[in-house]
Amino acid sequence: MTSSHSVRSTPTSHVVGRVDDLPPGSSTFVPVGKFGVGVYNVGGEFRAVTNYCPHRGGPLCVGRRYPVIEPSEPYQFEVSGEDEILKCPWHGWEFDLRDGVSEVGTKRIRMHRVRVEDGLVILEGV
Amino acid sequence: MGTDTQGVVDAAVHPRMLTSQQIYDYLRQPYSGLVYNSPNRFFHPTPTGIPPFGEWLEQSRPDGEVVTTSAGTYTAREPGSVPARTHEYLRANGVSQAVLNPTLRGLVPAADQGSAICSAYNEWQAATWLQDESDGLRFLGTIRVNPMDPEGAVAEIERWADHPRMVQVGVPLESHHPYGQRYYLAIWKAAVAHGLPVAVKAEGGVGVEYFPTMTGMPRTHIEFSALHRDRFFFHLASFIAEGTFDRFPDLRIVFADGGFDMLTPAMWRMDMDWPITRTEVPWVKQVPSDYLRQHVRFVTNRLEGPPDSEPETVVEWARRTDAAHLLVYGSGYPVWSSARPDQILPALDDEDRDRILWGNAHELYASRLAATR
Repeated sequence: MTSSHSVRSTPTSHVVGRVDDLPPGSSTFVPVGKFGVGVYNVGGEFRAVTNYCPHRGGPLCVGRRYPVIEPSEPYQFEVSGEDEILKCPWHGWEFDLRDGVSEVGTKRIRMHRVRVEDGLVILEGV
Repeated sequence: MGTDTQGVVDAAVHPRMLTSQQIYDYLRQPYSGLVYNSPNRFFHPTPTGIPPFGEWLEQSRPDGEVVTTSAGTYTAREPGSVPARTHEYLRANGVSQAVLNPTLRGLVPAADQGSAICSAYNEWQAATWLQDESDGLRFLGTIRVNPMDPEGAVAEIERWADHPRMVQVGVPLESHHPYGQRYYLAIWKAAVAHGLPVAVKAEGGVGVEYFPTMTGMPRTHIEFSALHRDRFFFHLASFIAEGTFDRFPDLRIVFADGGFDMLTPAMWRMDMDWPITRTEVPWVKQVPSDYLRQHVRFVTNRLEGPPDSEPETVVEWARRTDAAHLLVYGSGYPVWSSARPDQILPALDDEDRDRILWGNAHELYASRLAATR
């Protein structure tokens, strides 16, 4: 990590990168914890997700991001947002990155706190 | 509460015309001048094997009865065609109301002729069996429509919707597309508009429908009998996936020829696939199996499910499959495999059996039954 800042990684917090390098829609991966953690910029807010799908344990952070396909009338498609959904590459389970809840049912992905300090994105509690 | 006071509702009785020629009383030109190859168009030899009518219960076979209709007098030839014999069977079963659903033997190539045949069967029901008012036993009718002709089907529903004894719309199991597809929407819309459930019934014939199995024509009766009802599930999956139930919250589908035993495992699969494929069908807003109680019933059949010799398995399976809410008793008379009420899940408790033998049918046909009293 860049050394011109006073913020440093500690055993339970990790400097992920510079805010300027993670614009909305982008993400990065931090190889910490048992599975690693993906850090996503969702509309200007950061979300950190354990790379483990609660459905069958797939590598969730390998999955792509999609807009929300809303419940709709038959034969209509209502698409909203841009990249709020993270879809597991194994079985296609969808999770809303904003709250971590699956689009179907009540499965929840493991999320971690992220703070921004001194222009840096810092992952906590892993 | 009990069948003694309420009377069993038989949701599947298949009345048959007195002879193979009687249909011409109810067809008009040009269709009265066209050959219609009915009503014994069935090629898988049934196990009872009593020629020429082994497909039917022997007790339903006419014995020289002469029946007079408004269109003419006939010596009855076809099994299941004599109302008095049907009365006898139904009375012995404690039946107070029986839903008639004639067997049309599958699709014919000419859609207009197919619709004319449906009309003829409806006129015949109204002119004969539905006129039959005998002590404590009432016949109710099915508005048969041709799914190959949705426009004609809607017209046929409109024609009979106000008839006090017509309680449902009837279509064959053997259609050319799964029933959820948009081709049929107008038919279901008309049925819902008149509060009529839709019965899907196996015709057991070989018209111009597709093979009864996905791999082709089975050679033997055991294959046909065991497997042809799988097609119910193709229709059900289509109704769910195409959003037909979301589009028509009041649509009720009655699968009127067994097939219930494979429903639950098939729904497990669909439930499993739904979270993964939701974005393909975002209009499906519930877990697929959650649509069943609101929209789907199956008529009983004694040739399926765990054997009665294992009552604990029967009870457990009935509980897991929601049989007490999804099953509606129907004898299937005069088919050789007709089932009496005492042959339907004898291991269940009285409350569940009451639901199956009349309670669920009363819910299903409630508005229509009230209107006929």
